[in-house]
Amino acid sequence: MKKAVWLTFFALALALGFGCKPAGESGNGSAAGTGSSGSGSTASSARREPEGPGNKVTGDVIKVGVIASLNGELKPWGEDSVRGIRMAVDEFNAAGGLDGKKVELVIEDTNSKPEVGKSATEKLVAEDGVIAVLGEIASGITQPAAEVCFRYGVPIISPGSTRVDITNIGANVFRVCFTDNFQGAALAKFAYEDLGLRRIAMLTDKKQPYSTGLSDVFRQAFTSFGGEIVDEQFYEGGSTQDFKPQLTNIKAKNPDGLFCSGYFNEVGPIARQKEIVGLNVPMIGGDGWDSAELLASGGSGIIGGYWSNHYSNLEDRPEVKRFIEEFKKRYGGPPATAMAPLGYDAALVLLDALKRAESLDSKSLMKAIAETKNLQAVSGTITIGPDGNAEKSILILQVTKEARDKPVKRIEFFRFEPKSN
Amino acid sequence: MTEQFIQQLVNGLMLGAIYALIALGYTMVYGVLRLINFAHGDVYMVGAYLAYYTSMQWVNRELINPYALLVIMLFVSMIGCSLLGLLIERVAYRPLREAPRISVLITAIGVSLLLEYGGLLVFKTAPPPSIAEEVRGAAMQTPLVLFGVAIDKGQLAVLSVTLVLMILLWQFVTNTQTGRAMRAVAHDFDTAALMGINVDRIVAITFLIGSALAGAGGMMNATALGTPLTTFYGLMPGVKAFVAAVLGGIGNIPGAVLGGIILGLAEAMVVFADPFIPGFELTGYKDAVTFVILIGVLLVKPSGIFGSPVEKV
Repeated sequence: MKKAVWLTFFALALALGFGCKPAGESGNGSAAGTGSSGSGSTASSARREPEGPGNKVTGDVIKVGVIASLNGELKPWGEDSVRGIRMAVDEFNAAGGLDGKKVELVIEDTNSKPEVGKSATEKLVAEDGVIAVLGEIASGITQPAAEVCFRYGVPIISPGSTRVDITNIGANVFRVCFTDNFQGAALAKFAYEDLGLRRIAMLTDKKQPYSTGLSDVFRQAFTSFGGEIVDEQFYEGGSTQDFKPQLTNIKAKNPDGLFCSGYFNEVGPIARQKEIVGLNVPMIGGDGWDSAELLASGGSGIIGGYWSNHYSNLEDRPEVKRFIEEFKKRYGGPPATAMAPLGYDAALVLLDALKRAESLDSKSLMKAIAETKNLQAVSGTITIGPDGNAEKSILILQVTKEARDKPVKRIEFFRFEPKSN
Repeated sequence: MTEQFIQQLVNGLMLGAIYALIALGYTMVYGVLRLINFAHGDVYMVGAYLAYYTSMQWVNRELINPYALLVIMLFVSMIGCSLLGLLIERVAYRPLREAPRISVLITAIGVSLLLEYGGLLVFKTAPPPSIAEEVRGAAMQTPLVLFGVAIDKGQLAVLSVTLVLMILLWQFVTNTQTGRAMRAVAHDFDTAALMGINVDRIVAITFLIGSALAGAGGMMNATALGTPLTTFYGLMPGVKAFVAAVLGGIGNIPGAVLGGIILGLAEAMVVFADPFIPGFELTGYKDAVTFVILIGVLLVKPSGIFGSPVEKV
């Protein structure tokens, strides 16, 4: 009997650990992601004014806080974002700064953890007295950090948090990347208009709010254009390694395209196994595909697939070329992730606003950031919209034998309002 | 519909074959030592990594025949893992032969954590690498058409290798002197020792064989599925194989194989059933089926399908 008791205990522990939790999480996650998107674009009057008075510049140094994941699982992205920010600030200071005043960065490590990000922001704003904060890349960390900034009345600009509801926190929150609302809609538009696809099947990571949210927007946009979603199958990111059963089901529905909203960890294997079950249709996905390993793990199945990103090293725009050249000089190699140019752009928006601000305090700076118009940045031309989001084009990339990120087309910004379900 | 069903059957069988390979290691070790070797899934992970590094040595050299490369990878993984299994047994479990079982169990969890986190120092994890698709594709590009159903050669290869390994194991256990000794140790550890069987040697051989099978599973799954490798790669397959061993009756060799196949088929069939039961998003629960089965087994027949109803310990 002893054995049975032990094994029952293990079974329950395992079931709790692996079976039930992800499902519950994803339910909440997708609800939070899409539920908030409805109010995502309401005019700036709907965004609450922050509570605190903010900070002022005293003396000759303009202190700007940076929060980034310099350790932990997000390290490669966090490091890149800081490199981009530092480069922009160094260039600004080298060009004379602001009437002789130099910008000084105070950098705090969030260790890839929301709670650390929160306390780091608290320290930057309350102790160091920074007039603005740049960061974080992960939506889950930007959220608590932005709430702290809201309490103190300090503006915060996120380089790479795409989750829609981040900028709903208050009028002090901005971002320079696209939101998943625009990303999903732009991909749907590209699939329908440029690729001429009409019957798309979706494969969604049930465990990632990012994936369920993006799939939801894509479905609504694609059907609104007149296309049909013929099937949606699910998997559990991190647990599922074998996608052949799902792909076999999808194949039976005879789609002309496969939308994969998940991360590269699963997208590569999906591409490989799609070939195994004989599903020979192009794959489409979002910026979750961004990894140097995409081609190796996806192989021939991923070649010919399309995905969207903020920029590509291969893009032919002068801003991108100059940025990459400078970046190589400084750090000895091209940026590994899109967070480097986005970090640079976040800093650029802030520095541009500094020049236009009536006085050097958080409140005037916030106003100046909100008025950003047609700023030529690395990831596109940035105009900050009434909802605090950057209104700029998105880049569609194709995976080819030689590169995973061959630029194909820029899709201009348009508004798409997904209904929350 | 029939084609889809047959394809799902093949999917399930292949998945089940890998679970069965790993489950054999769990069940054999449990048989001789009454120990659930939690580090077994991590040995599988090491097998996958060894295959990855081997493929990296060869993948860009045109000289090598793609089939030969796959065979070399398989052997490197199996040999590497069997040595690792021997080492684990010698260093972590043998000194605890006389200790209470709970101490050994905790040690097993410790070894597992050591491999997972220690592996971070040794193996490439950022970005998580995967065995290049060319390695599989070069040998397995065109599917085989059988009764009008296209079946991937890679899947067939995995099934055949698994089958061969299982037949070899069965021959070894039933028809050799060492195999007989192994069964004797499993039956009664102390009496076997009294009869002149070198139990330390038998336990070492058990670890060697079990780990080699896990290594083969790691190599085949990593090559076929292309999952990016991390040091936690063996966590989920390890847990599922453990469930397969329990389902078949832990300690029982044919049971482990049957348990693995049932689990694999169950996963594929849940997905197959999805269109018939709309509104449940069944496909997302593919990986949770394992635990439903485990709870069911423990409630209905805790000793498993082939397990002896009488608790020996």
